[in-house]
Amino acid sequence: MTEPLKPVYLEDKLNEVRGDGHLRYRSSSLPTWCPGCGYFSVAEGVATALNRLKVPLKDAVIVSGIGCASRFPFFMETYGFHTLHGRTLPVATGVKVANDALTVLAVGGDGDAFAIGGGHIPHAARRNADITYMVFDNGIYGLTKGQTSPTSVEGFVTPSTPYESHDRPLNPLMMLLSYGASWVGQAYAGRPHHLTDMIAEAVAHRGFSYLHILSPCVTFDKTEMTYANLDVRVRDLPADHDPSDRLVAMEQATRAEAPALGLFYREERPTLIDGMNDIAARATGKASGKGKKNKK
Amino acid sequence: MNKNGTDIQFAVIGSAGDGTIAAGDILKRAMAGLGYKVIAFDIYPAEIRGFGKCISRVRITTEQAYSLKRHSDVLISLDDSYAIPHVGEVRDYGAVIYESSPIARLPEGGHMTAHVKPSQLPYGMQVRSISERVTASARSRNIVVLGYLAGLYGIDPQAFREIIADKFRTKAQAVTVQNTAAFDAGYEVGQSVFKLDDVQLGPPVRKGDSGKVTMMTGNGAVVRGCIDAGLDTFFGYPITPATTILERLAAELPKHGGRVLQTEDEISAIAATIGAGYTGARAATATSGPGLALMTEMLGLGVMGEVPSVVFVSQRGGPSTGMPTKTEQSDLNLAVFGGAGDAQRIVLAPTNVEGCYRTAGKAFEMAEKYQTPVVVLLDLYLSNRYETVIPPDANPFAPNLNKGLDAWRGDGEYPRFADTDDHISPRALPGEEGGMHTVTGLEHNQLGKPSDAPENHLAMNAKRHRKLDGALSHPDFTICKRFGDEGPVDVGILGWGSTFGEILEAMFAAQDEGIRCSAMKVVMLSPLPKERIVAFMDDCGTVLVPELNYEGQFANLISGALGRPVTKLTRSTGAPMQVEEILAEIRRLAQAKAA
Repeated sequence: MTEPLKPVYLEDKLNEVRGDGHLRYRSSSLPTWCPGCGYFSVAEGVATALNRLKVPLKDAVIVSGIGCASRFPFFMETYGFHTLHGRTLPVATGVKVANDALTVLAVGGDGDAFAIGGGHIPHAARRNADITYMVFDNGIYGLTKGQTSPTSVEGFVTPSTPYESHDRPLNPLMMLLSYGASWVGQAYAGRPHHLTDMIAEAVAHRGFSYLHILSPCVTFDKTEMTYANLDVRVRDLPADHDPSDRLVAMEQATRAEAPALGLFYREERPTLIDGMNDIAARATGKASGKGKKNKK
Repeated sequence: MNKNGTDIQFAVIGSAGDGTIAAGDILKRAMAGLGYKVIAFDIYPAEIRGFGKCISRVRITTEQAYSLKRHSDVLISLDDSYAIPHVGEVRDYGAVIYESSPIARLPEGGHMTAHVKPSQLPYGMQVRSISERVTASARSRNIVVLGYLAGLYGIDPQAFREIIADKFRTKAQAVTVQNTAAFDAGYEVGQSVFKLDDVQLGPPVRKGDSGKVTMMTGNGAVVRGCIDAGLDTFFGYPITPATTILERLAAELPKHGGRVLQTEDEISAIAATIGAGYTGARAATATSGPGLALMTEMLGLGVMGEVPSVVFVSQRGGPSTGMPTKTEQSDLNLAVFGGAGDAQRIVLAPTNVEGCYRTAGKAFEMAEKYQTPVVVLLDLYLSNRYETVIPPDANPFAPNLNKGLDAWRGDGEYPRFADTDDHISPRALPGEEGGMHTVTGLEHNQLGKPSDAPENHLAMNAKRHRKLDGALSHPDFTICKRFGDEGPVDVGILGWGSTFGEILEAMFAAQDEGIRCSAMKVVMLSPLPKERIVAFMDDCGTVLVPELNYEGQFANLISGALGRPVTKLTRSTGAPMQVEEILAEIRRLAQAKAA
């Protein structure tokens, strides 16, 4: 923030942006989000990350639910599936099980994920389905014009909670850590370069990766999760944070008042598809399975 | 029917834990192995162990039969307290086999001897003491009785011994040895018993194809159809009476290169099925009414997004949790109409076990070809009943009917939802170059971009409905079929699903009584084959619609869609309809017509 500002010339910037090829990942449909919405950072971040990882357009599938965040697939040039409210992960699981050569990304908002879709998350996590799940958390229902969400602060005044919300917000990172997600990280739309790096790392992870993205709703939330507030509240994870230690990761996650950015937790373990391949080997008698029953 | 051939129905009745269902299972498999045609259906309580009534009914015939009979020829009691109320179902001169020396003192009227009618033949035997003498345990009572039955009827005991050995192959060798000894002991007693002429069994009809005959349940046939149709992925959540589809596929599908996942709920099961269908896989799930209720929103997405999926629904008593182990045909409305908006999908209802196989496989063809969800309606009576069937020589199902990206030869942006002559759009699959698009549940234009323009919604609604008309002439599939008298008839019967077996038996009986009648089964419930049904109704003086629900859902569908009156015959007792009930109604309608 204290760096001296250098002049940026439009022509140079455009050439730079076009040069690296990530724009191929953006579709001809321009995003319908409000100017200033944090989701623009995510769109740019996903395009850059997929380009960096050289994921072919044709081999990427972006699955979403319903909400502002879930409009995401329309703005990307990959295959996309804009499904139903809360059902992002089950559909993404079906895509991955049917064709594990595809790179599957699942996106949705905090309501889509933790209100209506909350029942599906633990199961995608425990199965370790090789899906990158990005939740764009703005702490509000934007597409229905600003009602309280499961991650909204206590005491939030919205059209659906005119006398203040009395519900405590969820702590998504704690939930995902306890669900057994094999990759858990947090990023902030106000730090787009870090966000891009985290997206790339999450996509590259083999297994279920959960990236929580703090992203202000500039239209309906003028008081809580604003850029101004988040800029001062977010912090980096400690330099010596050990991402293989789940308990330490949970300790960091409990400090929700000062959200930490970075990789909380990572482990390598067999994925859903690994398990299914093992089942296929046992069923066809090609594995030295541990099971004692070997019916014809 | 079956005036010259064999037609015998056995009913084994006992308490949960008596081995009632196991005895029925051995009996029907042995008889099928001997070459008889078999229809069998078990009734059991919702509780796993304890005190519930179990009934296994097995009808064996030499001619084709279509349902169970109201009257059994032989009743085998493993527990008199449950069997006594069923003595009335044994025909005159039919046999009742029971324990002649009960272990404890019974209350007055607690023993079968007090209830066998003078017109019935009592066969008391010392079941328990024989079991204890031979196996040192009373647990083989069910097998002793089977041996007795085989001896009584002079059935080849080797057929039973083979099935017993197969049934207990996963247990210790001693279990097979003991049960075989129990069977032989019972057989010896049965052979020496005095027999009346009524207790007899004709030889099985051995035809050229008898070696290929196999016996399976409706759910088993569905599994076979899925595998032969090349099912790639199956996602399921346990629910009676569809669970066995999940279980069987979990064991079998991985051997054929497919993948099975037990999901966290039915919503997830159908969502994953649609996700898999979106990639071009043949994907299915199976559930019952309560699960289908949860799936309807996703079916709407499948309709809007034009994504193939197959949903097998084995109906049970409803509404809500209803009667999980009782049969009913009351999810027709939900299957045909359930969901938001104008969301027509294909709904198929097979009428017998062979039809389950064929319909299951064809459902995948149709889902893929017409890019739509396909609901296959079964019910507990069809899912769980056994029939002997002859598997086809060659796989009857087409492996790939997707109208692919190659069918699009245009310039510019690929229109995933292009309207065409047959209203089916070229469908690109993830991984295909040049076909990138986004599928959405929002109304969209031909490019798949969200659009709520009035003319667009009208055109897309029309496209989504009209493309399904093709299914009415889908190759090698019977959408409806007429049986019985040709030309004008006094009484016509329209039927669907498992009840059609009873309808056919009733119709044949009515013909024998000189009533001109015919019956039509309707397999495709959506889109409805209106022209064929109208042509049939034009031939009928009056139309009867028997079905197992309270409201008369199929009758309402027919009369609503065609604007014609029908006579409802509805039963919602949880049990299959009785042939005699339908026959009585046919007689009544025929007499009213004549009057």
